[in-house]
Amino acid sequence: MIALENLTVRFGGLVALDAVSARFGEPVSGIVGPNGAGKTTTMNVISGFLTSQGGRVRVGDTDLLDLPPYRRTRWGLRRSFQREEIAGDLTVEENLRAMLDNLPLSRADKREELARALDFTGLGAERHRLGATLNSYERRLTDVARCVIGRPKMILFDEPAGGLTGEETEHLGALILAIPGQTGAQVLVIDHDVDLISRICSQTLVLDFGRRIAFGPTAAVFDDPAVKAAYLGLEAEDAGA
Amino acid sequence: MRMSGVIGVILLAVAVVLLPVLAGGQWVRIFTSTACFALAAMGAAFIYARLGMVSLAQVALMGVGGWVFLRLNHATALPFEANLLAAGLVTSVLGMLLALPALRMRGLYLALMTLMVAGALEIVFTARQFPNGGTGFWGVATSFSATVRRPLLGQSDPAYLRYSLLVMGAGFLLIEAHRRAAPGRAWALIRRSEAAAIASGVNVTLYKTWAFGLSGLLAGLGGGLLAGSLGLLDAATFRASESVLLFALVVVGGARFWFGAVATAVLYRVAPALLNNWGVDADLALILFGAALLHAVITAPDGIAGQILGFVGALRGRMPGVRP
Repeated sequence: MIALENLTVRFGGLVALDAVSARFGEPVSGIVGPNGAGKTTTMNVISGFLTSQGGRVRVGDTDLLDLPPYRRTRWGLRRSFQREEIAGDLTVEENLRAMLDNLPLSRADKREELARALDFTGLGAERHRLGATLNSYERRLTDVARCVIGRPKMILFDEPAGGLTGEETEHLGALILAIPGQTGAQVLVIDHDVDLISRICSQTLVLDFGRRIAFGPTAAVFDDPAVKAAYLGLEAEDAGA
Repeated sequence: MRMSGVIGVILLAVAVVLLPVLAGGQWVRIFTSTACFALAAMGAAFIYARLGMVSLAQVALMGVGGWVFLRLNHATALPFEANLLAAGLVTSVLGMLLALPALRMRGLYLALMTLMVAGALEIVFTARQFPNGGTGFWGVATSFSATVRRPLLGQSDPAYLRYSLLVMGAGFLLIEAHRRAAPGRAWALIRRSEAAAIASGVNVTLYKTWAFGLSGLLAGLGGGLLAGSLGLLDAATFRASESVLLFALVVVGGARFWFGAVATAVLYRVAPALLNNWGVDADLALILFGAALLHAVITAPDGIAGQILGFVGALRGRMPGVRP
């Protein structure tokens, strides 16, 4: 269970997150909203790149906000970014080892985790290729491999399907759906692709201007007139008509 | 080991055997100081290539290493190796202190900050000079200069050149060992994006400090070796402008490759000496370096080393049976 409790972030006079609360209990959940809604801000608070002015992020007995950002990785938090952040001068394997270097695992466990992540993402044949020589989807898969490696507890994907073809998005969606079964981690996905979110997320939080406007089962959320209004720019009554 | 590493070890062995025999007179000392500056250049190159950070204090840090080495040499009976190691370690600590602002600054501001440090050290060196066996904390005597001990295996100038080349090789191997291990991977991620590094659990503070400490260690070892070679150091050698020049030549030499650091040191020490030998004003080298820097910035971002690699790659591509 991932519980966001009254998360609040202000940039000067701008309220980026306004006491947002939600309890994610499903294996794969989504956060959606128009541009500037506060999705990535939420992710940045959870991963420690932004400090919230109030609130908590509880996973089990742990309040993630009590940990420094790099320690959250050791705890079991993983995240990807909108742009694939793969070091071009490291091979795929070295990119994954860079993550394993910082985890409290034995050498044998690290080898096993590496093999498992490469196998899960189908990157085994590319393990010795430099990051700079990979295409965008291979880089994205390397990002996914980095997220599933080392027994994660919680994985955040920030617009993972950005720039991908329909076929690649479909494959990526299936991969993300398989992550909880493979690793036991809970997954939160941010994306603009409503089809992707509908397909892989059982539960969805909708943000608009930093506020929670809907939360619940994904199908019900996308039927909510307030959500349609936020996405289509209509008055709620028109959207519900 | 990669092919360039194997070639490096072979070239080092050849240089250790042949250079002291073939080089005569002043050239032995010029090549020795080239090895010392190659160590410092490697430190600056590694910070630039691995972390994308510019340190304009590398020659000044060599001065710190030289100062510590001379001070210990004249004040204690410690063996050469202990003094050299102490010079490296003290400079390494200073390098780590330099990293503190690096945690918050980058780009031009970090470069300017390191330049200010180099300027401050220049003032100290000029005002206090280097220890020469005098008394007191600064250890400067005006009427005499005590001798500097050398290592058992490097008593003569040619033997000391061999010794310096071996220390240089060890420094290069130290960098390579880091590059292949966890620190190298962490630095690659930090260079790509600090956010991505943090998301991978990298302690950015620790690894940046580590990198500056390692770079300082190499500069300190270079300074200590130089002091052992010359016996007496001059403040003019460690001016802030020399640090800027060395960094410019690191770009010209090629920061990503070990032989780029060698090319840097050769340009820095051998080229002016050659011009002198040919009866040409050595300051002409500055004009040539400026042109080379422009060339590197515009058309050869990997410098001389990158161009050599490109040339070798093209040659291999033309060889029958070898795929480009």
